Amino acid sequence: MRKKLLYGALGVVVLAAAGLMIARALQTSLVYFVLPSEYARDAASFDGRRIRLAGLVEPGSVSFDDAQLQLTFNVTDAIKTYPVTYKGAPPDLFQENGGVVIEGQFHEGVFVGDNLLVKHSNDYHPPDDGQVDVEALKESLR
Amino acid sequence: MQLELGVVGSAAAFLAFAVALYGAVAGVLGASRRDPRLVTSARLSAVAGFLVATVAIVVMESALLTDDFSVSYVAQHSRISSPVWVKVVTLWAALEGSILLWAWLLSGYTALVAAVAALSPLRPWAIAVMQGVQTFFFFVLAFLANPFKVLPNPPLDGPGPNELLQNHWMMAVHPVLMYLGFVGLTVPFAYAMAALITRRPGAEWMVLTRRWTLAGWGFLSAAIVAGGWWSYEVLGWGGYWAWDPVENVSLMPWLTATAFVHSVQVQERRHMLKPWNVALILTTFALSVLGTFLTRSGVVSSVHAFGSGPVGPAFLAFFVIVVLVSFGLLAARWEDVKDRAELDSLVSREGAMLGVNVLFLALAFAVLLGTLFPLVVEAISGDRVTVGPPFFDQVTLPIWMLVLLLMGIGPLLPWRKAEEQSLRSNLAWMLAGLVVAGGLAWALGVRKLYPALTVGLAGYNVVSLGLLLAGALVPRMRLAKRPALQVLRSYAHENRRRVGSMVVHFAVVVIAVGVAFSAGYRVDEQVRLDIGGSAEFEGYTLTATELFVDPTAARVSAGVLVEVRSGDRFVTTLRPRINVFPGSNRGIPTPAVLYRPSHDLYLSLNSNVAPGTTFVVLRVVKSPLVTWIWVGGALLALGTAYALGGSTRRVAARVSVPAAAAREA
Repeated sequence: MRKKLLYGALGVVVLAAAGLMIARALQTSLVYFVLPSEYARDAASFDGRRIRLAGLVEPGSVSFDDAQLQLTFNVTDAIKTYPVTYKGAPPDLFQENGGVVIEGQFHEGVFVGDNLLVKHSNDYHPPDDGQVDVEALKESLR
Repeated sequence: MQLELGVVGSAAAFLAFAVALYGAVAGVLGASRRDPRLVTSARLSAVAGFLVATVAIVVMESALLTDDFSVSYVAQHSRISSPVWVKVVTLWAALEGSILLWAWLLSGYTALVAAVAALSPLRPWAIAVMQGVQTFFFFVLAFLANPFKVLPNPPLDGPGPNELLQNHWMMAVHPVLMYLGFVGLTVPFAYAMAALITRRPGAEWMVLTRRWTLAGWGFLSAAIVAGGWWSYEVLGWGGYWAWDPVENVSLMPWLTATAFVHSVQVQERRHMLKPWNVALILTTFALSVLGTFLTRSGVVSSVHAFGSGPVGPAFLAFFVIVVLVSFGLLAARWEDVKDRAELDSLVSREGAMLGVNVLFLALAFAVLLGTLFPLVVEAISGDRVTVGPPFFDQVTLPIWMLVLLLMGIGPLLPWRKAEEQSLRSNLAWMLAGLVVAGGLAWALGVRKLYPALTVGLAGYNVVSLGLLLAGALVPRMRLAKRPALQVLRSYAHENRRRVGSMVVHFAVVVIAVGVAFSAGYRVDEQVRLDIGGSAEFEGYTLTATELFVDPTAARVSAGVLVEVRSGDRFVTTLRPRINVFPGSNRGIPTPAVLYRPSHDLYLSLNSNVAPGTTFVVLRVVKSPLVTWIWVGGALLALGTAYALGGSTRRVAARVSVPAAAAREA
C-alpha cells in the first residue's frame, strides 16, 4: 500500500514538472503569423518575439546590396507598410507585388528576417483600386 | 475494341473493395459461429484480394510506363520525357497512387498472414480485422480517390510528378519503407484486437506477431532515417529534421511502437503490462491513421503535405471509428486484461522497461501536442501560429537524455530484482565511462550542454554494451576453452535477438552523437563568390571556377563548379546547381555535399545562374559528424535484420502454438 502511494506521489510530481516544462516551452516558442496591419494594431504584445510577417513586396522598394548580400524591401498589406532587411540573395521568384513570408524580429522599426519564403499562389490578385481584402490575402499567404 | 487500362484498373479497385468486404464479413461470421468453411473462405479471399490488388498495381504501372494519358492519374502526375525510374515511382508520388500502394501492401501482408501464420484461435479474427482495414483503404481508392478515371479527351503530355520528388532517387525508397512499416504494424494491431475479441489477453498474440512487429518497427525506423537523408540531400538548408508536421506524424507511431517493442518483453517474461501493451499497439495504429489524415487533408501546413480533398475527412472518420472500436473493446474486456502480477522492484529489467515506456510515451505526447497546438489556438482565438523547433528541442532533449541513460542500465539489470553488488560495480564502470568520455569531450572544447552530455552518455552506453558482452562471453570462454572470437561467433549465432538488440542500441548511440553535434555545432552562412574568385569558410578555400549548363532529356541543370581546398591541398570539386524540369519554370536548388567522417561541407545555390552571371550566392553549411546519422541508421537496420534472421525453430519451439492454445483453453 505504501509502495503504491509512493509511486502515485512520484507520478504526480513527474507529471506536474513535465506540464510546467511544456507550458513554458510553448509560451516561448509560439510564432505568430501576422500581416503588417495586424502587427501595427497590437505591436506591444509582439515585443521581443519572433513572428512570421506576411504580405506583398511593395513595388519600387526592393534593393539588393550584392557585396554585403543585404536585401531590403518593404512589406505591405496596403494598410500598413514596414521595412524589411534580410541577409542573403533574393530567392527564386521573388518579385514586386509578390507574396512573401518573412520569419524574424523587429529591431527599432525594421523587421530583421532570417528566413524568407516566396509564396507564388495564384489565389490572390491585388485589385486595381488599391483596396485589399485582408482575409483573402492572409489565406493566400499561409 | 481495345480494352482501356483505366477501365480495367477501376474494375480491379472495385473488385478489391468487394473482396475485402466479403472477407471481413465472412471472417467475422465464420469466427463467431465457428464455421470452418466460412473461415477458410475468408482466408482464401485474403489471397484473392491480394491478386486483384496486384492487377490494379500492374495496370497503373503499365499506364505510367506506356504514357497512357487517358488514365487520370497518369495525366495529372506523369510526363513522357521522365526517365523510367521516375515513371515507376510516380505510382506513389501523389495522393491517389500512394493510397493504391498502401492498400496493395496491406493486401499483401493480409495474404501472407493468411498463408503462413500459425493456426491459432486468433488467426481468423486477426485476418478479419486486417480485411476490415483493407475494406476502408479500397473504399477510399474506389470511391473517393480513384486514380483510374478514364479521360475522354486525354492530354498529349502531363506535368510530371512534383519536382522535389523526382530530384532524388531516395523517392524510390523512403515512402515504400514508410508504408511497409505502417502496414507491418497493422499485423500486431489485428492480433491484439483478436486477443481482445476472443478474451485471450495472454502473451500468445504478441509471440505470434513478434517478427511482424519487429519487421514493421525496423521498416519504420529505416523510413524515418531515409526521410531525413532525403531532406538533407534535397531541401537545401543543410538540415535533416525541421519538426515539420509531416515529419512529426511519422515519428509519433514510431515512438509508441518503440515503447511496444520493449514492453512486450515484460509481458512475455513476467506476464505483466497486459493492458498497457494492448493500449500501446492500438495507439500506434490509431496514430498512423491520424498522421495520414493530417498529411492528406491540408489541416496542417507543411512543405510535404498532399493537398486537400475528400480523402482527409474519410481518414478522420476512420480514425474516430478505430479509436472508438478498439478502445471501447479494451474497456469492455478490462476484467480479462487487467494485470494481476505486481512489480517486485523498480530496479529490475521490467522496471527499466517500464521507465523507458513512460519516456517514449512522454515524447509521443510532446510531439503530438506541438503538432496539434496550432490547430487548437486557431480554433479558439483565430490566431495563426506555428510551434517552432525550439519547443520540440526544449521538451524532447531532456527526455532523450533519460532514454540514453536507461538504455545503458536496463539490459544489465536482471528480471524481478537486481542484486545490489553487481549493480553497483556495473554502474561504477559505466559512470566512469560517462565521466571519461564527457571529460574528454570537454577537454577537446565541447562546451555545450547537450553535445557534451551525449558524448558522456555514449561512453556510458559503450561500457554497458562491453559489460553485457563480457558477461555473456567470459563464462562461455572459460567453459569451452576456445578463443574469444569463436565464442563470440557462436554466441551471436545462438542469441540473434539479444545480439541484434545490442547492435541496435549501439546504432542509437551513433545516431545520438551525430544528431547532437550536427545540431549543436552547425555553421551556416551565405557566401558570395565571384566567378573566378574565392572565399574562406571554416578553414576551407572555396573557388568558383566556372558556370556550367548540363541539359538532359529529363531536366536542365545550371550551376557553378566550386573548387574546395583545405590550406594548399585540393580536396574536391563540388557542383551545386539548380535543376529545371520540363513543364515547370520553377528551379529546384540541388545541393552538393562533401561527405567526410568528421564533418560535411554542404553547398546550395541561393541565386540564379544565367549566361552573363558574374557572381553566385551560396548557402554554405558545415555540420560536424552528420554522416554518422546515416551510418547509424544503416547499422540499426542491420541489427534489426539480424534479430529477425536465422531459423524460426527456436521461436517455434518456445511458443508451441497448439500447446499454448490448449493451455489457454
